[in-house]
Amino acid sequence: MSAFYERFDRHDGGEGVKGRSTHYCPGCGHGLAHKYLAEAVESLGVQNRTVAISPVGCAVFLYYYIDAGNVQAAHGRASAVALGQKLARPDSIVVSYQGDGDLASIGLAEILQAAQLGIPITVIFVNNAIYGMTGGQMAPTTLMGQRTATSPEGRGRLMGEPLRMAELIAQLDGPVYVERVALYDNKQRVKARRAITKGIRLQVENRGFAFVEVLSECPLHLGLTPADAERWIKEKMLPVFPLGVKKDVSASRDVWPAWKAPNMDPAAVHAVVGGATDRVPRFCTRFPRELWGPVDDDIALKLAGAGGDGAQTAAMIVARAAINEGFDATHIPSYGPESRGGTSYADVRIAEDEVLSPAAPRPNILLAFNAPSLAKFEPLVADGGIAIYDSTVVPDPPRPADAIHRVPVAATAIAQELGRVTVKNTVALGALAAATRLFPAETFLTAIRQALGDKPALLELNERAFRLGAASVCGR
Amino acid sequence: MVANALQPIVRMAATADRTKPIVVPDYCKGCGRCIDACEHHCIEPGRDIDPATGLVPVRIHLEHCTACGLCFDACPEPYGLRPAFFDAEGSERPRVARHDLAGTPTPEPIPDAVAALPPGQPLVIKGVYASAVGAILAGCRHFFGYPITPSTEGAELMARLLPHLDGQFVQAVSEVAAINMMYGAGAAGVRATTFTSSPGFSLMLEGLSYMVGATVPGVVVNVMRGGPGLGNIAPGQSDIKLACRGLGHGDTHAIVLAPSTPQEMLDLTMLAFDLSFKYRNPVIVLADGYVAQMTGRVTLPRTMVRPGVPAWAVAGDEAHRRNLITSIYLSETELEARNERLFAKYARITDAEPRADLFQCDDAELLIVACNTPARMAKGAVRTLRAQGVKAGLFRPLTLWPFPICALAPVLSRARRVVVVEASDGQLEDEMRLAISRADLATPSITSVNRYGGVLPSHDEIVSRVIGVARPHALGATA
Repeated sequence: MSAFYERFDRHDGGEGVKGRSTHYCPGCGHGLAHKYLAEAVESLGVQNRTVAISPVGCAVFLYYYIDAGNVQAAHGRASAVALGQKLARPDSIVVSYQGDGDLASIGLAEILQAAQLGIPITVIFVNNAIYGMTGGQMAPTTLMGQRTATSPEGRGRLMGEPLRMAELIAQLDGPVYVERVALYDNKQRVKARRAITKGIRLQVENRGFAFVEVLSECPLHLGLTPADAERWIKEKMLPVFPLGVKKDVSASRDVWPAWKAPNMDPAAVHAVVGGATDRVPRFCTRFPRELWGPVDDDIALKLAGAGGDGAQTAAMIVARAAINEGFDATHIPSYGPESRGGTSYADVRIAEDEVLSPAAPRPNILLAFNAPSLAKFEPLVADGGIAIYDSTVVPDPPRPADAIHRVPVAATAIAQELGRVTVKNTVALGALAAATRLFPAETFLTAIRQALGDKPALLELNERAFRLGAASVCGR
Repeated sequence: MVANALQPIVRMAATADRTKPIVVPDYCKGCGRCIDACEHHCIEPGRDIDPATGLVPVRIHLEHCTACGLCFDACPEPYGLRPAFFDAEGSERPRVARHDLAGTPTPEPIPDAVAALPPGQPLVIKGVYASAVGAILAGCRHFFGYPITPSTEGAELMARLLPHLDGQFVQAVSEVAAINMMYGAGAAGVRATTFTSSPGFSLMLEGLSYMVGATVPGVVVNVMRGGPGLGNIAPGQSDIKLACRGLGHGDTHAIVLAPSTPQEMLDLTMLAFDLSFKYRNPVIVLADGYVAQMTGRVTLPRTMVRPGVPAWAVAGDEAHRRNLITSIYLSETELEARNERLFAKYARITDAEPRADLFQCDDAELLIVACNTPARMAKGAVRTLRAQGVKAGLFRPLTLWPFPICALAPVLSRARRVVVVEASDGQLEDEMRLAISRADLATPSITSVNRYGGVLPSHDEIVSRVIGVARPHALGATA
């Protein structure tokens, strides 16, 4: 008994002979690998759960024959498709059936990842040392000296040595079972059937990734009779591709944990995405339009420093503070390599209803943590704007050219006195709040508390840092 | 003689469910594997050409057959050698229960459900995070991706959040693998997504073509950056052509959604999943590096989606066993018919799904057309221009494909001039021009405000160019 369709309706409509016979050439090994797969699926009682992934290659029409869920994949991607299918429906028994061009050439990356992940899928790898479907070109498993359409003088050194996939896969940590089998005589066929059954059984048991390489005859492209093709496999392929179990840790390997159904509970989802139901208090009475300097509908800030100065975090807190007050705000970082150690700057825009341009090419407020940032961005500050800078790091900056207010704050020194230099951005925020009167201190502190939601131990330190920063510029 | 007559019966009993073979000539290709397999030399090469196949099936003599079954195991054809309990036509006599296709239940679709979310405060998150949150709220629990700036933080957030919801995050070996994992998950009928950026999007195009061809849903968020080649990681809009006109090989199309704000990153990602499953087609969320990296106010919707199971899914169970996901149609007539069905789907999408946002277009004499982040700059420019007495308006397509020509047409008839603002070499303009041409509308006078290489057109640039277009004489352009 097997899991073959009663009639191959997908094979040219299943009319006539095609309804009961495969598209393979006489003597082709694919039919046997199909048969052992179909019988294993039936004998293990998993036909309803089975999903067969058809590759590109001669086995592209696997879905004509195997009475199971069927998915046809792009060339080389069957094992990636199999992974997606398995993770989507972990109860399914996913079989990725691939040839040597598909698996060992164009799909090398995909098979190596799938194997090393070790998630329980079953890969049946049919190695016939040739590209069959495209007409007999050289495969990654073609033997040295073997003549093919693209190695007409025989495979030479420039074409590379044949790839031994079973050995390659077996040395990975992920797989639980790797075996190479053949089809050329009764004994080998018994072993091949057992290996394919075992490869699927290990998935049924949720034990892990199994890989069965099948040395398979392609009489047509070898230019041999089926009987001679069997002999060719035995005499020519075996020395290069020795048969046998290459890895089997299936008895000692723990089964994979039971797969859980995805959680769709609204309360859990809301919590996970960071949804907060508590009402955030507001302290502003109106949009800070005329508190300082000429501002239209929109306030622009630029916060700049070296990577690690905390400019981005400070910018995020300003944006959050504004949004907490019911205004609109955006924060756009400079991102990429420079944000991992070099200069890092952030643009913040705050508007009463809607921020339009998120960039701040002419900031009203500049917060500079170092001399290069001050030198670069201070000339861009809008007339009547404010430049706040860390006077510990920049003790004596050159006079500004434009009519802007400068506010020094010894952010680093104050942070050092507090015992943690990384809070210098909070000190600077305190100074910014006091110098600009953008929002009440409580607005900023609320945003800081939100930002530190998962690190409450740092709350008190940051509040002190903020207040000391504010106090240091008071009365200016 | 009595003993001889009894012998086969005894053997039959001893070999339990084994039986002797018969050859079904039409299904035997005469390869002869069974000849070698038989240790009792019961099988020999045939001599007669089978009229149905032109091949020469083997011949069997059962006098010495022990019903060992080795010939069955050697026959590569499913129905070439059959146990004797099959009749000569190869049909099975009732013997062992089989899961016949005919007996497989027809799957009923399990519809998506909507669940209320608790009310809450707006989130303050960056655009790619908002997109990831949107995916989760749309019921996506499967993410397959490969890190690439400036989209990576979306993947990072999914990696953090999905385990808490028993979802699956896989960092694929490449974008090629990622899109094919999405293909597998989509084929299984689950909602899967990936985040990528321009070079990675190029790598996904083959997979996207397969998804379109096999009608597999899935959402790809492409955060566009400066190109060609590696280009840079600053914001760009130069994948519009790729998303709208070049989605892999074949006559492919997918809905392309263009968010301008972090809020829209969430809203349009949620919409993308619904559209993707509604039409069984991938959907592209085409963002730019700015809107993806920008942090802003994001209000959560009132409801989230609990996805069902579509009837067509290869879901690995009895109900869905007969399903097949493939893009192969070997016969030209079948593929042509199938493509016509695809085109009919595109036509339905073109009718039903164009979306646009119009700002002060009602009396606009000068229309700015922009999408993504440049549309924000353009909106500010419209305000500035209005304050200066220029009757400007902003037409912002939310779907780049299908281009919302129906919404554009009425305002186009009033506007004397159109200014297209974009961070590409006219790719948005080309979409608009094509839509205008296909709708048989008169092409207006079009001016382009383009920046490239990671630079977005600024508010001031737009204003000054529009002033130049609207009031050429005011700028002294009289010569």
